[in-house]
Amino acid sequence: MAKLVVLQPTKQPLISLLSSSLSHFNGSKLSQIQYKRKVCHPKGALHVVAASGTKKTLIMGGTRFIGVFLSRLLVKEGHQVTLFTRGKAPVTQQLPGESDSDYSDFKSEILHLKGDRQDFEFVKSSLSAEGYDVVYDINGREAAEVEPILDALPNLEQFIYCSSAGVYLKSDILPHCEVDAVDPKSRHKGKLNTESLLEARGVNWTSLRPVYIYGPLNYNPVEEWFFHRLKAGRPIPIPNSGVQITQLGHVKDLATAFVQVLGNEKASKQVFNISGEKYVTFDGLAKACAKAGGFPEPEIIHYNPKEFDFGKKKAFPFRDQHFFASVEKAKHVLGWKPEFDLVEGLADSYNLDFGRGTYRKEADFTTDDMILNKSFALQS
Amino acid sequence: MAALASSSSSSSLLFTTPPSKLPSPSSLCPFPRLSLPISSFLSSPLSISPSSLPYPTTSTRCFASFTVRAAAAADKKKVLIVNTNSGGHAVIGFYFAKELLGSGHEVTVMTVGDEGSDKMKKPPFNRLSEITSAGGKTLWGDPANVGNVVAGTSFDVVLDNNGKDLDTVRPVVDWAKSSGVKQLLFISSAGIYKPTDEPPHVEGDVVKADAGHVGVEKYIAEVFISWAIFRPQYMIGSGNNKDCEEWFFDRIVRNRPVPIPGSGMQLTNIAHVRDLSSMLTLAVEKPEAASSNIFNCVSDHAVTLDGMARLCAEAAGLPVEIVHYDPKAVGIDAKKAFPFRNMHFYAEPRAAKDILGWEGTTNLPEDLKERFEEYVKVGRDKKPMKFEIDDKILEALKVPVAV
Repeated sequence: MAKLVVLQPTKQPLISLLSSSLSHFNGSKLSQIQYKRKVCHPKGALHVVAASGTKKTLIMGGTRFIGVFLSRLLVKEGHQVTLFTRGKAPVTQQLPGESDSDYSDFKSEILHLKGDRQDFEFVKSSLSAEGYDVVYDINGREAAEVEPILDALPNLEQFIYCSSAGVYLKSDILPHCEVDAVDPKSRHKGKLNTESLLEARGVNWTSLRPVYIYGPLNYNPVEEWFFHRLKAGRPIPIPNSGVQITQLGHVKDLATAFVQVLGNEKASKQVFNISGEKYVTFDGLAKACAKAGGFPEPEIIHYNPKEFDFGKKKAFPFRDQHFFASVEKAKHVLGWKPEFDLVEGLADSYNLDFGRGTYRKEADFTTDDMILNKSFALQS
Repeated sequence: MAALASSSSSSSLLFTTPPSKLPSPSSLCPFPRLSLPISSFLSSPLSISPSSLPYPTTSTRCFASFTVRAAAAADKKKVLIVNTNSGGHAVIGFYFAKELLGSGHEVTVMTVGDEGSDKMKKPPFNRLSEITSAGGKTLWGDPANVGNVVAGTSFDVVLDNNGKDLDTVRPVVDWAKSSGVKQLLFISSAGIYKPTDEPPHVEGDVVKADAGHVGVEKYIAEVFISWAIFRPQYMIGSGNNKDCEEWFFDRIVRNRPVPIPGSGMQLTNIAHVRDLSSMLTLAVEKPEAASSNIFNCVSDHAVTLDGMARLCAEAAGLPVEIVHYDPKAVGIDAKKAFPFRNMHFYAEPRAAKDILGWEGTTNLPEDLKERFEEYVKVGRDKKPMKFEIDDKILEALKVPVAV
C-alpha cells in the first residue's frame, strides 16, 4: 500500500488582526495588511493561476474606500497603478494598523492622474496619452462616464467595473443570482446602463455587484450607524419586524475579488455578485455589531415607519426589504471565497476604525428620539 | 466558521467539516491521486474540533475526495428504499424510485406497515403501480424486520426515508451493514439546524443535539463507510402525501383571505420533489464524491411566506388577500393553523452543488401552474371544506369573509 504523507493544517489564531502574514491564494502572494487567515485548507495548496504579468492599471477613484485596499493589493502584485482623482482627498493615506514601511512602499509606487472624470474630453485625451492595459472603474455611476475611457483605449485588455446588486428587480424569490431580472427603473440604473454599454462595445469587461460593503474607512454609515448607538448606550430602532434579511460584504474580500478577476479568462464578460457567504436579519445585525465591538446585547425597538415623517433624514441605513445575493457563482467560477464572516468582519472594522475614535458621520439621533418618544408615550 | 460555532452552548452539536469548504478535486489538492480504501483514513482521524465526533475530519475527507474514480460509466445498482407510509417525505421515495428505474437501476420500495392499510389509499401509495410497471418491486413490512421482508435479497444501496430517531433506523442500518450494503443514504431534516440570525443554514452549521435525526446521523457515520445524509425542507409535486401548495389554493379558489402568521417576510424553501430525487440519484451514481457528506436537500432559492401566497394566486390566475396575525394574540397554535414554520427556515444546497455538481430546476412560478392544473383536475377546488381555525383567526382580527 502506498504511503500518504498527511499534512496537519496549521493552527492559527482565528483573529490575528495586526499580523501581516502571507497567504497563498490563486498561487500568487497577497501581502495582507490586516487579513485574518482561516484554517480550513492544507497549507501550500497549489492552484492554477492565469499568470497575468505586470499590467499598467488605472483606477477611476481609489482614494476613499474600495480603491484604498484594491490599489494596495495591485501594487503588491507588481502592477503599475495610477489613481484618477480630482485630488480633493490625499492621494494616499496610511491605513490604521499599516506599518510605516508598508505604507512608504505603497506610497512610492502609486501614481496619480489628476482630473475630473466628468470632463469627458480630458478623460479621453489623458487616458489616450498614457495608454493603460486595464481599467478599474470603482466610482462610475453613468454609462456616459465610461464612453470616453473606452474611446481612449482601443487596445484595453480589460474593463473591470464596480456595479451593484441594487440593480436586481425586487423579488419574493431570493437570493438574487446573476441571471435574475434587473430593474431598469432602479436607483442604480446607471450601473445597468454601464454594463449594457460595456457589452455593446465588445470590450473585455467584468462587472462585480456588491451588496452592502463594510469595513474600516467605510463612508456609508452601515456599521457606523450601529456603533454610534451602541457606544451611546442607546436602543437600536429597527423598522417593522426586524426579520428583514440583508447582507454585508467586507471591503477586503471585495478587493480580493477585484484582483482575482484581473486577467482571468473565466471572468471575461461575466457578472459576479460579491458579498458575505451568509446573510443576516436586521435584528441579527444589531446583535452582531454589539458582539464585534464588545458591547452588551442591545435593546432593539421595532417601529412602524409609516407612523412617522422623518423628512429628509434616513431613520435606518438599509432598504426596508429583503436584499441579498448569492455569491456561489464567484466561488465556483473564480474560486473566490470571503475571508471574513460577519462578526469577525465587523470586529475588523471596529478595531481599525470606529473603535479607535474615527468615523465619517457624526452621530445624529434625531429620528431615534422621534421613535423613542412615541414608543415611550405609547407605553406610559 | 467551524471553530466559531464551537463556542456555543454544549447542547449544540457541531459538525466540523462543512463539505462546501472543500476544494474541488480538479484543483487545490496537492496530494497525488491514489486509489486507497476510505477505511484506511478513518482509522486515524485528524481531529480539529475539541469534542470527539464520529465525523471524518477535513483532512480525511480531503483524501477521500481524491481517490481515483472507477472509469466505468454509471454502474447499475440494486437499491432498496425503506419508505415512510405518511407525511411530507413519502413522495421523495416515490420520485427517487422512478428516477432510478428510468436510469436502469434495480429498485425495491419497502413501504412501512401493511399493504392493506388505509394509508395506502392516499398518494403516492395509490400510485405504486407506476413503480412496478417500470420494473420496480414493492414490499411492505416493519423496518425492524427488514432482512426478512426483503427475503435475503442483496442490495448495493439502501435509502432510509422513514426513521426520525435511532430506535427506528438502527435496525435498518445494522442489517444493511451486515448484509454487505455498500452505500447508506438517509433522509434527515433541515429542521435540525439551530435557528440563526444569519441564514441560510449551510452544511456544517450547528444542529440541535437532542434532535432525533441527529442521533441517526451520528450512528450512520460511525457504522458505515460510504454514507450520505440529506436534509430536506418542504416540497411540492404530484403524489405528495402532505398538503403544501394546496393549503394556499384551498383558500384562494374559495375567495377566502389567506392568514399568514407574523410578518409574512419569513423565508422558507419549497422545492419540487424532482430536485430532491435528482440529488439522491447523483449520490447513488457518484458514491465516492457523496461519501461522508451531508447535503441540504432543498431548492436553490428561498421564498417568503407572503411570496408563496402570491405565487399560488398567480398560478391560479386569481387575486389573493393576505392577512397577517400574531398566533399568541389570537390564541391559536400556529403549527395547526399554518403548514410552514413561523420563522425563517431557509437552507441552501451548497454541498450538493459543490460536491455532486447538482443543479436545481425548481421554478415555483412554472411548477405551481402545473400543480394548480392538477388541483383543479382532481376536483379539489369544488370540494366542500371547513376553515375553522381560519375563521377563528379572522374573527379575532375582524376581517370579513366572502360567503
